[in-house]
Amino acid sequence: MVGKAEPVNGSVKSGSNQSIPAAMQSPLKKSDLIPNLSLKTLKLKTKQQELLIRVSILCLVYVLAFITRLFSVLRYESMIHEFDPYFNYRTTLFLTEKGFYEFWNWFDSESWYPLGRIIGGTLYPGLMVTAAIIYWLLRFLRFAIHIREVCVLTAPFFASNTTLVAYFFGKEVWDSGAGLVAAALIAICPGYISRSVAGSYDNEGVAIFALLLTFYLFVKAVNTGSLAWALASAFGYFYMVSAWGGYVFIINLIPLYVLVLLITGRYSMRLYVAYNSMYVLGMLLAMQIRFVGFQHVQSGEHMAAMGVFFLLQVFFFLDWVKHLLSDTKLFQAFLRITVTTAIAVGAIALGVGTASGYISPWTGRFYSLLDPTYAKDHIPIIASVSEHQPTAWSSFMFDFHILLFLFPAGLYFCFKRLSDATIFIVMYGLTSIYFAGVMVRLILVATPAVCLISAIAVSATIKNLTLVARAKNKVTQTGFVRGSSSLKGSSKASLDQSQPFQRNGAIALLLGAFYLLSKYATHCTWVTSEAYSSPSIVLAARGAHGNRVIFDDYREAYFWLRKNTPPDAKVMSWWDYGYQITAMGNRTVIVDNNTWNNTHIATVGRAMSSYENEAYEIMRSLDVDYVLVVFGGVTGYSSDDINKFLWMVRIGGGVFPVIKEPDYLVNGEYRVDKGAAPKMLNCLMYKLSYYRFGELTTEYGKPPGYDRARGVEIGNKDIKLEYLEEAFTTSNWIVRIYKVKPPNNRCPYAGNDVPYLPWVPTVLRYHFQAMFHG
Amino acid sequence: MRSKPETQSHTAATEPLSSTSMDPIFPLLRILPFGFLRPPKLRLKLPTLTLPSPMTVYALVLLTYFMVVSGIVYDVIVEPPGIGSTQDRATGSVRPVVFLPGRVNGQYIVEGLSSGFMFVLGGVGVVLMDLALDRNRAKSVKVSYATAGIASVVIAYVMSMLFIRIKIPAYLR
Repeated sequence: MVGKAEPVNGSVKSGSNQSIPAAMQSPLKKSDLIPNLSLKTLKLKTKQQELLIRVSILCLVYVLAFITRLFSVLRYESMIHEFDPYFNYRTTLFLTEKGFYEFWNWFDSESWYPLGRIIGGTLYPGLMVTAAIIYWLLRFLRFAIHIREVCVLTAPFFASNTTLVAYFFGKEVWDSGAGLVAAALIAICPGYISRSVAGSYDNEGVAIFALLLTFYLFVKAVNTGSLAWALASAFGYFYMVSAWGGYVFIINLIPLYVLVLLITGRYSMRLYVAYNSMYVLGMLLAMQIRFVGFQHVQSGEHMAAMGVFFLLQVFFFLDWVKHLLSDTKLFQAFLRITVTTAIAVGAIALGVGTASGYISPWTGRFYSLLDPTYAKDHIPIIASVSEHQPTAWSSFMFDFHILLFLFPAGLYFCFKRLSDATIFIVMYGLTSIYFAGVMVRLILVATPAVCLISAIAVSATIKNLTLVARAKNKVTQTGFVRGSSSLKGSSKASLDQSQPFQRNGAIALLLGAFYLLSKYATHCTWVTSEAYSSPSIVLAARGAHGNRVIFDDYREAYFWLRKNTPPDAKVMSWWDYGYQITAMGNRTVIVDNNTWNNTHIATVGRAMSSYENEAYEIMRSLDVDYVLVVFGGVTGYSSDDINKFLWMVRIGGGVFPVIKEPDYLVNGEYRVDKGAAPKMLNCLMYKLSYYRFGELTTEYGKPPGYDRARGVEIGNKDIKLEYLEEAFTTSNWIVRIYKVKPPNNRCPYAGNDVPYLPWVPTVLRYHFQAMFHG
Repeated sequence: MRSKPETQSHTAATEPLSSTSMDPIFPLLRILPFGFLRPPKLRLKLPTLTLPSPMTVYALVLLTYFMVVSGIVYDVIVEPPGIGSTQDRATGSVRPVVFLPGRVNGQYIVEGLSSGFMFVLGGVGVVLMDLALDRNRAKSVKVSYATAGIASVVIAYVMSMLFIRIKIPAYLR
């Protein structure tokens, strides 16, 4: 067994392995036992050595994936980042406190006042349930950890698990070497780190693990044809559906893959078993999530899966008929009729379903992926999110580095060795790269595919190079033993002539490959540290002497809200901050990041862009007590509400035509200084941002009222507020909170010619007024 | 499975009507319009659909990859200029600016295309290196493939690093 060591090991190992049995057979004295035992245990067989190397690499990669995501925890503290994770944290907290049934049936009256939100039916529960299970498990083991710590560290934990799944997937598609490289690449790839850093408690952290797991299980099912793997992939799909809205990608990619296999003539029983089991069970399980509901049979985005399902039945039926019939001409005629009938019936069913409205058309979010210009013209809310912008080359370079070179090379290797699994990975790679080009956020979905395909390229290239580099040992050994059984005898002879050149060249190329991979590791760590580890709720800057200055204004303002306002106070702000206000400030908000009601957001946008008296009407109709604005003029913070103001105008103007964007621009240019449009200088947002700012000197050598974020001196310095009063401004003026004054005792609707309608609820009354005013 | 029935259905159609046809409408059609109408004798051939070879598909895929990675979707939606321009303060002359400064997710058209070309060049370099190692070709061809491959990878990597350093001055510092 030991003597038949594989050729790659060369001659050295087999020689030393053969020396051991000789040593063992001599009689052992007690004093000889101990050194011989240690000598024996150190010399493992080749298979065990390989296993040890693989397991240790995987363990190191697992730990690496976890610790590279911990930059912000070490620099700041263990807190939740950004905006969306605060909602997830609040719901997880609710789940752990009240239990699953309360969570599943939760109606939240603290957001979207006065409409409320059915949280149980409008969220993807996978992330919260996962974190709650981890939390309960740790508490069962008597680790008394706060739920916030579990939430913060959920994403790095699942990133480590993703590397394991990537290893198995790579092993399935190519071989174990490619699997190891894939695990290592995906552990540090910035495209994945950007959404799974510690503190980023968002759906994608768990969803990418579920995505890769579902794909791996499905490819395994197609390769083996086993029912168990197919059902496992259905459960993986269920986990993905419960975790993220991006499951639509899976339910469209897998049918597309089955279609490609059918077209290239790779129909087989394995494919039939795998797809049918996965589709039927997966669809039934997906309907358990209230947010998804019956979309699998009603929504246009899911119809491709159903179409391919029926097409597979047609294929199976034709196969069976072909097996029964002996006459090929008869079968050809039967084939023609059946195929045309099936396609006709399918088209008619689709047409009837779409025309009658039973099958809903593609929603705007997903339709804008197929037609990227759609969102810009029709849905400004989708177009305004910065993550939804199309991708420039530098974003690709930032997130992928040398994987962008290795991706086409890996595709070449896959095309050279086409099989069911490589076709899948090629399709996954191509579709995900296209979608990543449409939307920056979807680089995350492309990352596993790019890492896997690049791993194939790296593994295949390094294997070839090491074969050439080690060829010298093999030739010298077979030269003694007259190796006619060695595989490429003639090429080895030609190899002999230019031996040192080829070997040195191969070694040089290997060093070059390792150099490139080390540059990749450096780049990834730098990008993680500099770009993707900021909590967004705490800002940091370099002070005058190079020391780090921390701006914790957001949390200061939310804590002030929590402690200094009545518990039933309602806060109006732009929708970006809604989740944070409800989670940390514990107050009711008018609109938040869920953005499910465009008219409600447009109402807030209209209030922010109107003159103060009109805005006061709107705020009274919404029972607003406090208004919160974010202002970056003192610190130079560029993501403040004045920079987002045009989006408020556009969204408000989309519903209420009385708000016109050109009113706020001067010659198409957006300005806040003396030359700004008069409507801009007197609208509510301007007044609330720049109240008392005209007296403040922000920078040495500049006049008072110099806005550091826009770089100009503001136009209207003398601001007087009639219906609001300033309640709180944070220490760096980043968050400003204003209290809405109650109305005067007389003339409640001054300046309004619509009769008083006491029986109509306040919001509807406001909308009636909007209709009359035009 | 689809391509075969197309060719064989054509041969089946040219045979006389005595062959067993399972089509129910065909006898009716024989009576009603074609009882007195005589169809002309055309020499049409249905085009035979064959699947392209993997390498053809790979070439198309490479082209698509080049377009996507150059940021063509960004170009179509945001419509940036081909090359930016800035005015020199001292002389007032207009100088071209190739790389859009200040943002990671922004580009001009030409900079996107040239970076995309570098990425594809790097990929093609690795492919050439594999072609040089694997096949039993003439030695001179293998050597030329190998040198071309190595040169492509080196140039692509160096140029990409240069581009990203120009675009983001604070890169790796």
